[in-house]
Amino acid sequence: MPPAAVSIDPTIPAVELRGLVKNYGQVEALKGIDLTVKPGEIFGLLGPNGAGKTTLFSILATLRTPTAGVARVLGHDVTVERDAVRRAMGIVFQEPAIEQRLTGRDNLLLMGLFYCLPAARARQRAAELLDHLGLAEAADRPARTLSGGQRRKLELARALVTDPSILFLDEATLGLDVDARRVFWNEVRAIAAAGRTVFFTTHYMEEAEIADRIALIDAGRIVALDTPRALKARIGGGVIRLQTEDDGQARTWLTERGFAPTDAKPGLMLVHADPAAALPDILRHLPVKVLRAEVHQPSLEDVFLGLTGKGLEGEGGATPPRPPGGRRP
Amino acid sequence: MIRGIYAVVVLDLKRAWLDRARLLTGLAQPLLYLFVLGAGLGGSSRMGGPAYQRSIFPGVMGLTLLFTAVFMAISIVFDRQIGFFKAVLVAPLPRAAIAFGKITSGAIQAFIQGLILLPFAPLVGIHLGLTSTAAMLAAMAFAAMTFSAIGVAVASRFTSTTVFPIVSNTIILPMYFLSGALYPLGMAPRVMQIAAHFDPVAYAVDLMRGALLGNFFFPPWLSLAVLIAVNSLLTWLAVRVFKRGEDDSVLGANGFRWRR
Repeated sequence: MPPAAVSIDPTIPAVELRGLVKNYGQVEALKGIDLTVKPGEIFGLLGPNGAGKTTLFSILATLRTPTAGVARVLGHDVTVERDAVRRAMGIVFQEPAIEQRLTGRDNLLLMGLFYCLPAARARQRAAELLDHLGLAEAADRPARTLSGGQRRKLELARALVTDPSILFLDEATLGLDVDARRVFWNEVRAIAAAGRTVFFTTHYMEEAEIADRIALIDAGRIVALDTPRALKARIGGGVIRLQTEDDGQARTWLTERGFAPTDAKPGLMLVHADPAAALPDILRHLPVKVLRAEVHQPSLEDVFLGLTGKGLEGEGGATPPRPPGGRRP
Repeated sequence: MIRGIYAVVVLDLKRAWLDRARLLTGLAQPLLYLFVLGAGLGGSSRMGGPAYQRSIFPGVMGLTLLFTAVFMAISIVFDRQIGFFKAVLVAPLPRAAIAFGKITSGAIQAFIQGLILLPFAPLVGIHLGLTSTAAMLAAMAFAAMTFSAIGVAVASRFTSTTVFPIVSNTIILPMYFLSGALYPLGMAPRVMQIAAHFDPVAYAVDLMRGALLGNFFFPPWLSLAVLIAVNSLLTWLAVRVFKRGEDDSVLGANGFRWRR
C-alpha cells in the first residue's frame, strides 16, 4: 500500500456541510445541502448531469465560494481556511492535471514543489508511488505516451504525493475501459484502507458500489443518503430465487418463518428487503437441500429512478455541464 | 510566497523548455520588421534607411518582448480551458504567488527571446558598449515584466483561447503602434504624442531607446515610475481574479468580463 496509515481524529468529520447553497445568478445549483462524511469513509456522490455534483465538488476543492451555508473539510472552513483545506486534500479531477509532455516523475516532483515538500522527500514519495502503482517503468516517459489507465493512475499518484488524509475524486475514471476502472478502484480501496477518507463523484453504477455510503443528489438537493445496500433495499427489497430438492417442503418452511415465497418455475421466488443478508440464514437453516440460489438486487439506477422519476446517466454525456452561464453573483 | 512563485516559474519554464524551438521561430518576426520593413520604410523616410533601422531597433525589441510575453500569458487561458489550471489553483499557495509567478515566468521567457535579438543590434549600426548594454538589459527587464503583467491581467479574464487573440489584438496592437516603437514620438502628430502618455508600452520602448541610443522622449525616472505603477496595478488585478478561483468559469465558454 502506498503510504503508511494516516493518523486521523475520529471526532472531526472529514466533510461537513451545513445548509450549503450556491447560486449562479438566478440559477440555484445547490439548494441547501447537509451532509457529514466520517473520517476513513469511502463516500460516493451520485447524480445526473446538472444535479450539482460538480458545483459541490468545486466548493469542497476551494475553487468556488458558497453563496450561503458552511462547508468544512477535516474541520477547516473551505472559505476561511482555504490553505489548510488545500494542504489536507488530494484531488483527482476529471480533466488531466498532469502536463502530458513531461514525464510522470517530473509531474510528481512539480507537485511536491507546489506543496512545498522538501525535494528529497518528494523524490522518495514519487518513487514509492510510481513503484506501488506499477508505473515504475513508465515513470520516465512523457505522460502522453502512457495508456489511458496509466495516465489516470498517474493522476492518482499526483494527488497522493502530499500524503493527504482526504482524497477527492471527480469522475476520476471517465472514459476508461472496465479493466482499467477496476484496477483504479482497487487502488482507491487500498488508499482508503490506510485510513484516508475518499470522497468521489461518478456516473458509473458499479463504481458507486464500493462506497461505504452514497448520497444521491438531484436538482441541488440530496434525495437519499445511505449505504448502497440499504438504498437498494429501499425500493421494496430484492429478489431471491431458490431451487431445492423439494420445493414444496421449502415453501412451507419459508412461510412458517414469515417469508412470502411464490412459485417461480423452476423453483421459488421471494422478495426481501435485504436479500443478501437474509440468504445466508435461509441457506443455513432450510431443511431441504438447495440446488441453486440466486439474488437479484435492484440497481442504484432503479433507486434513483424510483426517487426522482429519471435515470442517472440519462444524457449519457461524458462531460458534466458547466454551470449555467448566468451573470456572476 | 517566494516558494510559491518559484514553483509556478519552474513549472512554466519546464514546459517552455519543451517548446525551445520557438526561440528560433520567434526571431523571424522581429528580423522581418528590422531588415525588411525597416529598410523599406527607412529608405522612404527623411531619416534614411540605416538611421531609421537604428532608431527602430529598440522598438523591434519592444515588439519581441511584448508579443512573447502576451503569447506566454495565453497558456493561462489554455490551461484553464483544459482544466489544468485547477490543479494550480488548489495548491496551498497565496494567489499573489500564482499571479506573480505567472508574470515572472512570462517575463523571463520574453527576456530570453530579447537576449537572442540583442546581438543583431550592431548589424544596424548600434554600438553595444558596456554601460549601454547594461542599461538596455535593465530596461528590457522592466519592459518584460510590464508586458507580461499586461498579458496575465488580460489572460486571467478569459476562459476561451479563441477569443483571447482577438481581444489581445485590439488591446496589444494599438498599444504597440501608439508607443512610437516604429517612429520617433518626437516627430509624431501632437495628438499621438498626447495619447502615448497613456500607453505603458511607450514608456517601456522609450526607456530601451534611451538606454541604447541616448535620446529619451520621456524622462527616464517618469518611465520607471509609470512601469512600476502599471506593474503593481495589473498584478493586483490578476491576483483578484485568481482569488475567485473557478467561479470565473461561470462566464461560460466564450466569456470575458472586464469588471471582475
